[in-house]
Amino acid sequence: MDYLQFVLAPQMLNGLSFGLAVILMALGLTIIFGLLDVINMAHGEFYAIGAYVGFVLLGMGLNFWLVVALVPILMLPLGYITERFLVRRVFHSADRHTLTLLLTLGLSMILMDVLKITFGPNTVKPAIPVTGGIEVFDVFLPAYRMLLIAFGAAVITAVYILIYRTSIGAIIRAAAFDKDMASSLGVRVSRVYSMTFAVGVALAGLSGILLAPVFSVFPTMGHDFIILAFTVVIVGGMGSIKGAVLAGLLLTQVQAVASLIVSPVWTDPILFGIMVLVLMLRPQGLFGRLGHA
Amino acid sequence: MPDPLVAAEVTRGARGTRGAHIGLAKVAIDRENEEQRVVGCLAAVFFLAALLFAIYGWQQGDTFFLRLGTEALIYAGLALSVDLLLGHGGLLSLGHALFFGLGAYVSALILKDVSPSFWLAIAGGTLSGLLAGTVGGIIAIRARGVYFALITFGMAQVVAKIIYNTQELGASDGIIGIPIVPISLGIVDIRSDDPFAFFTLTLVIVAAIYVLLSYATRTPYGRVLSAIRVNESRLPFLGYSPAYTKLGAFVISSMIAGLSGSLYPMLRGFVSPELMYFEVSTNAVIAVVIGGAGTLVGPLFGAMALVFGKSVVGSYTEHHLIVVGVFFMASVIFLPQGFAGFVKDRFMGSQDDRS
Repeated sequence: MDYLQFVLAPQMLNGLSFGLAVILMALGLTIIFGLLDVINMAHGEFYAIGAYVGFVLLGMGLNFWLVVALVPILMLPLGYITERFLVRRVFHSADRHTLTLLLTLGLSMILMDVLKITFGPNTVKPAIPVTGGIEVFDVFLPAYRMLLIAFGAAVITAVYILIYRTSIGAIIRAAAFDKDMASSLGVRVSRVYSMTFAVGVALAGLSGILLAPVFSVFPTMGHDFIILAFTVVIVGGMGSIKGAVLAGLLLTQVQAVASLIVSPVWTDPILFGIMVLVLMLRPQGLFGRLGHA
Repeated sequence: MPDPLVAAEVTRGARGTRGAHIGLAKVAIDRENEEQRVVGCLAAVFFLAALLFAIYGWQQGDTFFLRLGTEALIYAGLALSVDLLLGHGGLLSLGHALFFGLGAYVSALILKDVSPSFWLAIAGGTLSGLLAGTVGGIIAIRARGVYFALITFGMAQVVAKIIYNTQELGASDGIIGIPIVPISLGIVDIRSDDPFAFFTLTLVIVAAIYVLLSYATRTPYGRVLSAIRVNESRLPFLGYSPAYTKLGAFVISSMIAGLSGSLYPMLRGFVSPELMYFEVSTNAVIAVVIGGAGTLVGPLFGAMALVFGKSVVGSYTEHHLIVVGVFFMASVIFLPQGFAGFVKDRFMGSQDDRS
């Protein structure tokens, strides 16, 4: 009972709050892939930029929740420019999967170094905005983590509603399903692409600022994180929103529990093993692509 | 010499007669032979320049540049292995550092704990590439396109993390204190700490890998591999198995990566987990892309440009990633065929029929 109360439950809770941030990140990746067929290798760097922008804004004395609202808005133009001026340049070539991947890979190298130059290689950490916590069934729940869970769940729900319940979402899904047909029905597909890319980048930035007080902020922070996000996206099915959410929850719980039972060192191989297993049984991931399901 | 006019004539005629088909095939073969000549010239230029560089360095009594050149050659070997997959099979591996690093670790362990034998070390490195490549290949070739890239990426990352956390392998410090290796080549005996001799030996090994690969890509097996890049779904109808072909290419490629890696500890005297990191994999891919994927000779130039470029830029600023990144992105956008592809088009007129 003590084990459950002091070890397992807090660990699973940590896993859940971490999981929601991972899902935000994976949502951006999976939407961009589902719509544009582009693997955004620079996604981890956008996550880091979100954290740094938030850190700077916090340093200017702004309220934390205002910063959380501002960061994704500031990230939108960055994503828009990336799509408009970089991804689109190679988008129509025959080898676009590889070329866009390589292009965003180059971008990620540049961004990582820019962060190093601007902010130095050292780790910074914003203060946790909400301290304290509550106790439920004798389990201590840190307030910030609870807020993170609630906020993350709200954003994920909002994205889901946007994609599946609004006319904008219908346009996005139509463009993902058949871009030529959507285009001939009057959808400005290229604008949809830019906007969606921008939203995906904004979600990465949001994830960055939300996790900044929990982990710390350093130039290569996106690098470790993006592997997990990719694993989530592959397991859930590239381009699937439902898949990203379920796989995100599942994998972060596995990670949280496995690091207790086995050892933190072995969590990555375990997650990777799950990914391989899923790929063998269902190569397309657990769920279908955006616009196809 | 393929005349553009003749080619156009034949293309027009190809719809009708069988003879025209044969003519078309002949033009294609002519064109390919021409390509081979240009690539062969480039390769000759490369190896000759490397040899001249070595002799010049030897005369000047240089150590730094010769050892840097050796490192570049080792990475060129890795780039060749990546090009076999990317340029010929259309498979982008973002995790070849795994096999490279594994080869380096196995070689380091053999040299340090078993016996300082050159041949045993490179055999061990190659064998580790064979084994890891078979296991990794069975996992990775199930996936197509971007999934393949992401799985190789994840694979390398996971293994690198395990090594990083393994105390017995020196954890984050790696393995240091690898002895100087005496290498008996029959005619002459050299030592791995002699910059000129070891550079030349590495050059010979890379040349051997290059010759072997450029031969292999012209065999029927190599043709099937190229066919996978062009249209994988059509292959089974012609009676070929894409899976076995891909697995074979993956294993050959990881053996070459392991072999290249096994030379690293002899040059630098240590190995560290960094050898397995993403940067090593991406550098190999960058070398292939800026050099020209699918040409085999391009990646040799690419690896040189990358290693020497980094060293030059690195003497001005430690932020060489920006320069490399900009250069790389510009190459992807403006020169998707890379340096060798550019030279090829330059010398053959631009009647390029690849899309």
